[in-house]
Amino acid sequence: MAVTFIGVRHHSPACARLVAATIDELRPAYVLIEGPADLNDRIGELLLGHELPIAIFTSYRDEERRLGSWAPMCAYSPEWVALTHGQAAGAELRFIDLPAWHPALEGRSNRYADAELRYADVMERLCRSFDVDNVDVLWDHLFEFAPDDELAERLATYFDLVRGESAAGESDTAREAYMASWVRAATAAAGDRPVVVITGGFHRPALVAANAVPLPSSWPEVPALPEGALGGSFLVPYSFRRLDAFDGYQSGMPSPAYYQELWESGPERAAQHLVESVAGRLRERKQAVSTADLIAARATAEGLATVRGHRHPARTDVLDGLASALVNEALDVPLPWSSRGTLRAGSHPVVVEMVAALSGTRVGRLHPGTPAPPLVHDLDVSLARFGLDGETDLDLDLTQRAERDRSQVLHRVRVLGVPGFHRGSGPSTGLDPVLRERWALRPDPGRLTAVIEAGAYGATLSDACAAVLAERAAAAGRDVDALAAVLFDAALAGITDVSDQALADIDATVAAAADLGALGRMLAVVLTMWRHDRIFGTARTATSGRVIVAAVRRILWLAEGVRGGPAPADLPRIAALAACRDGLRHAGGALGLSVSDALEVAGRVAADSGAPPDLRGAAFGLQWALADLTPSSGTDAAGSGTDAVGSGNGAGGSGNGVGGLGADVRGSGVDALRVVRGAFVPQSAGDWLAGLFALAREEVLHAEGVVGLLDELLSAMSAEDFLVALPGLRQAFEFFPPRERETIAGRLLARRGLGGTGRSLLRGVTEPEVVAAGMRLDEQVEALLLREGLVGGRD
Amino acid sequence: MTGRSRPAIEVVEVTEGADQVQRPSAEVRYADELARLREADTAARPPGWALSVQAARRFVVGDEKLNVSRKFVGDPSLIDRALITLATSRGLMLVGDPGTAKSLLSELLAAAVSGDSTLTIQGGAATTEDQIRYSWNYALLVADGPSTRSLVPAPLLRGMAEGRTVRFEEITRCPLEVQDCLLSPLSDRVLAIPELTGPESMVFARDGFNIIATANTRDRGVNDMSSALKRRFNFETVFPIADFVTELTLVADEAAKLLRRSGVTAEPRRDVLEVLVTTFRELRTGETARGDSMDRLSSVMSTAEAVSVAHAVGLRGWFLRGEAGNAEDVVACLAGTAAKDNAEDLAKLRRYLAQQVSWRGGDQWRALHEARHLLPG
Repeated sequence: MAVTFIGVRHHSPACARLVAATIDELRPAYVLIEGPADLNDRIGELLLGHELPIAIFTSYRDEERRLGSWAPMCAYSPEWVALTHGQAAGAELRFIDLPAWHPALEGRSNRYADAELRYADVMERLCRSFDVDNVDVLWDHLFEFAPDDELAERLATYFDLVRGESAAGESDTAREAYMASWVRAATAAAGDRPVVVITGGFHRPALVAANAVPLPSSWPEVPALPEGALGGSFLVPYSFRRLDAFDGYQSGMPSPAYYQELWESGPERAAQHLVESVAGRLRERKQAVSTADLIAARATAEGLATVRGHRHPARTDVLDGLASALVNEALDVPLPWSSRGTLRAGSHPVVVEMVAALSGTRVGRLHPGTPAPPLVHDLDVSLARFGLDGETDLDLDLTQRAERDRSQVLHRVRVLGVPGFHRGSGPSTGLDPVLRERWALRPDPGRLTAVIEAGAYGATLSDACAAVLAERAAAAGRDVDALAAVLFDAALAGITDVSDQALADIDATVAAAADLGALGRMLAVVLTMWRHDRIFGTARTATSGRVIVAAVRRILWLAEGVRGGPAPADLPRIAALAACRDGLRHAGGALGLSVSDALEVAGRVAADSGAPPDLRGAAFGLQWALADLTPSSGTDAAGSGTDAVGSGNGAGGSGNGVGGLGADVRGSGVDALRVVRGAFVPQSAGDWLAGLFALAREEVLHAEGVVGLLDELLSAMSAEDFLVALPGLRQAFEFFPPRERETIAGRLLARRGLGGTGRSLLRGVTEPEVVAAGMRLDEQVEALLLREGLVGGRD
Repeated sequence: MTGRSRPAIEVVEVTEGADQVQRPSAEVRYADELARLREADTAARPPGWALSVQAARRFVVGDEKLNVSRKFVGDPSLIDRALITLATSRGLMLVGDPGTAKSLLSELLAAAVSGDSTLTIQGGAATTEDQIRYSWNYALLVADGPSTRSLVPAPLLRGMAEGRTVRFEEITRCPLEVQDCLLSPLSDRVLAIPELTGPESMVFARDGFNIIATANTRDRGVNDMSSALKRRFNFETVFPIADFVTELTLVADEAAKLLRRSGVTAEPRRDVLEVLVTTFRELRTGETARGDSMDRLSSVMSTAEAVSVAHAVGLRGWFLRGEAGNAEDVVACLAGTAAKDNAEDLAKLRRYLAQQVSWRGGDQWRALHEARHLLPG
């Protein structure tokens, strides 16, 4: 008859203890648990004897949406304890929440994520009044490290307080109504035997209130999958790393390895274990951790526990003690446990080890008798359908639709890390014209295990592959090359729809990138894929568009920050600006990039005497090349681009007159002449021209008089200046293909009123015998000089 | 405007009778609060302390029930760690960017722990051991020879002998050798006076003695610290205020106060201050709201600096046009702060205003973008 409602925080050892004690004492007829009701007839699968952590994974797909959702459980999860103790007490076990695909759980990829975010104001006030840094510390203080007596009452008070002040959203209301109907039905069915209900604490007040209203009761229906939708729930292995809030976006309590220890051996042992493992990890990495440090850490931790009113040092007491004792320099970013969220870049190495020790590396494993996750079946079906299931060697022609489909399946399998699929050769950069792939398929004993593990990422090959790639994108950090590899793998595997979170991660990587060259390489590849990759189906996808926008923006930002005097031209960074030019020219209009902003930046860089000459040349080239794209052609949303160019002049208009080109360059070459003349510094001329030619080769060729002016300027150089500039000049003119070089040569001849063709001029000395004789003479002289010790080993 | 002794963040409430002194010490300013805390303090006190750790904590983070104000905006756990460190055998080293209220925190901690924050050594290039440990009254020394009468104790000796907290400001501005005279007082808790004989030649630290040192992480010309000395300190990094609203409110309050004192009656505009504080935070952290990473400025972009720019913005608006300051004033005043002695910083600021401002919505951001040409150079 009596219903006991236990409101828990997911992944809380204190709540788990309370649940265990309550069930053991009451021996209820029913134990009702917040979990996906669609798994009820297979609840036995959970109790087969798995190694935790595991998760109930739900996949779903219909025409509009696609999702993967997890309900992770570890040994100290109250839900897990409810299952095991409920079974031991002979109770009927039921999950009573809506299935993960139900619209009420929309947008939640972790059923047991903390709900605190929705109650931020209340939580902030509570933290303030207890003078603690954040919710995790508050929770430890109030529950994990407080005496167990009256725990149930304190929990109820806490959640009433938090929930009481805020209205539940529509989706919470729907879930609570559904859960309440299960409670009523179970109460009726239990007769005079007790019922225990374990749900998230935030739902408890609503369920208690709903239970007070008498309503007719019958077992609720489990919502069936909508027509045309595919989906289901399965058990998959999970890991501590994915459980940890320091690692993810929608996690519950942080530090699983620590709480596991707390659950198994109590606070004293957990504290000791934490100190031991941090010291061990640091010593492994050859960091000095002295006994004196550990004594100081211990003393501080105990002092902090006393001040904060804990009988034993709590998690943050120990961590604070260790940080005080072991970090003896200034930190760049605050200690991660003082705020919630992922570990920030720049964290102190000692702190990184501490977080790693807290998080742990434990990975769950399913009992062999568990039905395999759907991915195993999907993989087998896909391999069989494309004839990829045997031991074979393949040579695929990617221009053939059917063979390309086979290649995509193989790439998806490769991305998932399933052994036995080896690619011998194939496209590797996205720019190379390789259109054939060789694969070697071999049976491998580790294949099934790997697929089961990968099954935690998704139910189908493409979903799982997308999830793995998204994880890699998130892990890329500031490494643009790693991100480029992810994007290329996505193209190879035919993954075109990417989650918003993955897009945000991609944006973050690009926004934090520091290497112009890497960004330029990536932009060139992605731009090619965006513009015309029909083979991989990446033409005009949203993902590549997003990457292009972010990369163009970032390249412009970084270009303005480069400082340096005369130095050999840096080709990767020039190439980055060239990629930026192409991005603006070919995708700018479609993606809403602002050409006038770009022109303004280019104007400033071109006029900046602190910028290296190659970059200044390239920036001028960018201006020149984009001049015909100004807003009148409709590519720019931001109104008057002419003004922006004009103001660019104002901002940078000093020194050599480079700033004064923008507006006029468009119409005629006259002002380009002025700029070239103004920027021509004999010794670094080659580098400046390299930048210019890389970006605006055609403009130079077609502008009236520029070639003549260059001829004039180069002819006027002193012999020594010319020698200094020569390597740079050679490099600069390399940007012209032979035919254009020939055109230039022809113009030079015409300018000087000489006969002959450009081709003959390029060939230099016409008689091969003379060249050969000259080379022989050079060799002899060289040998002579070497013999007499008049030159070094170099040429 | 780089004087380090200026408290970064503080609302000074001058109590009765203290009005002759420009800035009375913390234990005078907050004498009432300290008295209330002492009265209500039932917890055990560490030996030699004026308050229990819990009461000292409340003195700094505030306690509504006892009407104790919140004096330090930051993580409460930092205060816990700092106080516990002071109760152990290691010294407390507060490090951080200039203008993060390290000195204020050190003063408050000393006032809470010892009831006295005046045993202060100011570190500098010319600081000698005499100013730290002891020196002599040379007339008496010549007349009587070395004796306790001719000995002139400096803060360290007094702190040890009387069992009180010694503050060492800007310790890394002292030469390394001078810093190292703290080694034996910190580890052995004893100071030898070899000129004296008998028991007076050794001064043993009494309970309650400890050292709070502060050091800037971004000062030019700082000296290193020996690792021997580092080992004897627990380091606590004091960060700029993490929460935007808290910082904005603080800047708004302080700027308004300064403006009133300067005879400006126009209140600073909240939207202008929002832009100003956001700009400061982004240039300080090197990351924009959109997640773009940037080069940090080498100038200090502290909250204190934001207050002084907000003050200057208000002055400029009022005395040039008779109204509150606007985005143009912000740009004009930023040039003076950000580019104080550094053309690179000016270039970074120009780049920020040109490329990282225009994508944001809001009139003031637009105005800030438009005003970018007001930067000199």
